[in-house]
Amino acid sequence: MVEAVDVSLIYHDHEREVFACRDINLTIGKGEFVGILGPSGSGKSSLLYLLSGLKNPTLGEIRIDGVTMGSLNDTERANMRLEKFGFVFQQPYLLGYLTALENVLTVNFKLDERAKSLLEDLGLKDKMNRYPHELSGGERQRVCVARALVNSPEVIFADEPTAALDHVNGELVVDMLNRHRKDGSLVMVTHDPAMIKDSDRILVISDGTITRN
Amino acid sequence: MPRFVHPLSPTIFLRRNAGKTVPLIAVICLAVMLVQSIIALINSIPLSIQTIYRYTDRFLGVSPRLDPTLTGVFVKELTTNPPVEIERVILCRGSGAQVKSIVGKWPFAVMGFEKDDLEYYLKRQGYTGIEGRRPVDGKPEMMVSTPVARNLHLKIGDVVLKPDDSDNFSRQPVKLVGIIQCERWLMVSNKQYLANTQPIPIDFALIFAKNLSDQKVYDQWAAKKMKGKFAQLFYYADIEKESKKMFEVLYKIIDAVIGILVLVISIMMGMLMNIYQSQRLVEFGLLQAIGHTKKQLFRRVLTESVIVIIGGWFFGLVTARLLLIFLKAKLMDPQAFALDIGDPMAISYTGPVPIAILVIAFGTIWLRFRKFDPVAVVERRIV
Repeated sequence: MVEAVDVSLIYHDHEREVFACRDINLTIGKGEFVGILGPSGSGKSSLLYLLSGLKNPTLGEIRIDGVTMGSLNDTERANMRLEKFGFVFQQPYLLGYLTALENVLTVNFKLDERAKSLLEDLGLKDKMNRYPHELSGGERQRVCVARALVNSPEVIFADEPTAALDHVNGELVVDMLNRHRKDGSLVMVTHDPAMIKDSDRILVISDGTITRN
Repeated sequence: MPRFVHPLSPTIFLRRNAGKTVPLIAVICLAVMLVQSIIALINSIPLSIQTIYRYTDRFLGVSPRLDPTLTGVFVKELTTNPPVEIERVILCRGSGAQVKSIVGKWPFAVMGFEKDDLEYYLKRQGYTGIEGRRPVDGKPEMMVSTPVARNLHLKIGDVVLKPDDSDNFSRQPVKLVGIIQCERWLMVSNKQYLANTQPIPIDFALIFAKNLSDQKVYDQWAAKKMKGKFAQLFYYADIEKESKKMFEVLYKIIDAVIGILVLVISIMMGMLMNIYQSQRLVEFGLLQAIGHTKKQLFRRVLTESVIVIIGGWFFGLVTARLLLIFLKAKLMDPQAFALDIGDPMAISYTGPVPIAILVIAFGTIWLRFRKFDPVAVVERRIV
């Protein structure tokens, strides 16, 4: 379970304080699919980075299964991300010198069979030994989905995973994330409501504040 | 079946990015080759001089200054209560000649022996045979060893010493009648001819310790005993010391040049590695974002750097060795100049190259990782 308690993230722009997120209180339950919707610059990505421990809140705290993120050191937080979370970013970031399969295994190289079966399910059976430059944008993002799912994470954080894809590929990627997450929760940031039509809950964020839940 | 090689293992990265890693290895390789070759070639100067005079490590030579009658007195003195057993004392005559060294012409002794003494002397020098024949008593004839023949491009029948050659003077033309098969530099004639043609009758005494291994001990003892007397001593330890002293300043200059070279190469390589790692920020950001720790990534990058640097150093040593083998065969051997291909000093001078590069690379990469924020990558602030 992921909890945000009175969480704020403040940037300092010269002498001015800018709230990327303000007084966020939120709980994401096990297996829940939560969509975060909002226009550009509304703070939805910042919220995702706060929830996933990639950023530290200026105020308040984030708890994962009751453990406060702020009490963990860098290594413990990294281990938590590696073991409990899966990530899909806006851009299909892959390591160019590794094949599709090897990219998936960067999370845990012992999960060879699981990685192959995921790639097969994602329609990349014949392309798992290809390098990223030999794949299309949609295929690359599907490899990223497989990487996010390979160690059966408790929470998958997806930051506008469809932004760089056309509508058909975008829906395919979201569908795959949703179908393969098993009992894992899915937190997806998007500005396209169509992409989170299957979510259990939608949070609308504006100026760093949740305006609708 | 699980995979045995982690996709993030340094070897996979280096292998699959050969286009980037090979030039880095090549630059380090060239730097190491440069340093080792320069030092080995410079060391070949004193080494060649020491090689030319190495024949003096088999005896102690003594000649009187001013008074030719003192030879006998000195021999008596040097054979009374010596620290080691003396096997033989030879009285010979000497004449001057010149050989070519890397730094120009160098004086060399032509020694005139009586028949039995010549046999003993050649054996002592470890000769394996003679091409041609020995000089006949009283005739203007001489022999040289193979390195001398190579150095002066001599063949049997050539005139070595001449009346009109101030460097290689003799009253009559002295012909080469034999080439001694020996690695040491030797020039020998017959005592009678040299005695007949020299205006001042000075005998040189060569004193041989019974055991070769004792010769050095004896030489040191004799040097102390003859201190302050009108005697000139010839022994290898003294020649070695003098040749080292001669190049002391040169070595200081070389140390400074190599120091600057290593510094420049290290800074350049450190910066190159820094640029090289900067191109991988997206990779580091992504891996850090998905849960790899800074420590793991830093360790990985450091391992890659160590492999590149050690690889470059190793290939540098191999390349330098090949280059030196080539130079020895083409440049040095035809003139019998010495060159130590595995010169330990030259190899040790290459040591600071990988160490300095590693220190600079380590420092710059550590600074980069310390301030690195993965969110900047996934938010596309760094692309």
